[in-house]
Amino acid sequence: MLDARVVKRREGFTVDVSLRVAAGEACGLFGASGAGKSTVLACLAGAETPDDGVIRLDELTLFPPPLPLHRRPIGYLTQDASLFPHLDVSQNVRFGLSNGVAGGSEDWIAELREKLQIGSIWHQPAHAISGGQARRVALARMLARRPRLVLLDEPFSGLDRHLVRELIAAIAEWHALLGFALLVVDHDAEVLARICPRALAIEEGRVVQSGAWDALRAQPATPLLAQLLAPL
Amino acid sequence: MIRRAAAVVFAIALLYPLAGLFAPVGPWRWGGTETAGAVWISLSLTGIAMVIVVVLGTPMALYVARSSTRERLWWQAVLLISVLLPPLALGILLSLAFGPHALGAFLDRFGLQMTNTPLAFVVTQTYVSIGYYVLGAIAALDGVSPRLELQGRLLGHGPWSVFWRITFPLARLGFAVALSLAWVRSLTEFGAIVITAYYPAGMPVALWTNLENFGLPAVMPLLLVFLLTALPLPWLAHILAQRRFARA
Repeated sequence: MLDARVVKRREGFTVDVSLRVAAGEACGLFGASGAGKSTVLACLAGAETPDDGVIRLDELTLFPPPLPLHRRPIGYLTQDASLFPHLDVSQNVRFGLSNGVAGGSEDWIAELREKLQIGSIWHQPAHAISGGQARRVALARMLARRPRLVLLDEPFSGLDRHLVRELIAAIAEWHALLGFALLVVDHDAEVLARICPRALAIEEGRVVQSGAWDALRAQPATPLLAQLLAPL
Repeated sequence: MIRRAAAVVFAIALLYPLAGLFAPVGPWRWGGTETAGAVWISLSLTGIAMVIVVVLGTPMALYVARSSTRERLWWQAVLLISVLLPPLALGILLSLAFGPHALGAFLDRFGLQMTNTPLAFVVTQTYVSIGYYVLGAIAALDGVSPRLELQGRLLGHGPWSVFWRITFPLARLGFAVALSLAWVRSLTEFGAIVITAYYPAGMPVALWTNLENFGLPAVMPLLLVFLLTALPLPWLAHILAQRRFARA
């Protein structure tokens, strides 16, 4: 269970978001660009340090004080795949298993390789593969460690619809299989609703509404949220 | 075609001073043990200085490269001062700062002489070159995205492991260029060394004294050795770095 309150000062407003996501549950963070969604995720991952609040994941306290990043059982995927360019695809996927701590098995790696269709590029240098392939490899690398909390920050931006559908199906399948808590940020409600049954709507760093998508669409709390949820 | 010819002329003019090696100065006079001693002193003490430069300079470069823009500017200003100090001025300042009226008196109590000793030689070389190394290493680290380091840590690797597995492999050629600059700066230092460590005489000081005492025939062999020891490392590092950038 992720139980967090994140307070982070930004230019113009302060992000102050409280959220709870149980193991096996998926929750979306929805809002306009610059609303503070990515800040929340960055604070949960440890990429940024909150100014105040508390972050707990099961028995672990991630903040305060900030738990060192390498001790956080968290997967964090952004629109930038951030593959290690000097390593090949297989070395990237196995990177999280090569610290002598994380568990992992060849069967699990083989399953990730097969389901994400990265077998054909398995020994290619990471800098030589396409953007779509890089996103699959990044997903495999993140899941290889079997994280307890997965944070996805607009992981599908810039990808074609076909690939987005494939990745969403893969994430949903592994979410059900591994039972991690899943928090996804996206500005596309349609994409978000396919993964997360419920969402928190954020404006200027505050949660303005939360609940199932049907409830959000039926009675949006603010005019901006209504606009964002309206079909094109 | 004309531009290439102009570039060739430029390169020839640039390398023209090397023609001095073939100047008719009379039969070269090989100094024997004296030359070998100067070469040994320069190479061994510069080697020690480089170890100190890397051990102290690398953590500093890592810190500065990952600090905020404002803090980074401040640190770079400090580093630039050490780089921009004229060597002769640095030598005088070092001999005063480590002299008997300052830190030198304290060090003297432990038998550490800061004038005309190998220690003075190494300390001076470290001072003249560490700024070059740190600034070069910062530039190398700038080429490694902090996002990669973040991912490495979130994949369960501690800071040390992330440095060796991600940061260093991606920045290694930049580190090599920085170290080679520090090496050549240190090995060829004359202005500061001649003030703080006239003895033991390394290659630059030996060149000077040979020139003064025996003339050009006594200088040429040492000059050749000097060039052969100072140039290949930085030259190779730069070529490798350029090849890498050309491939990227």
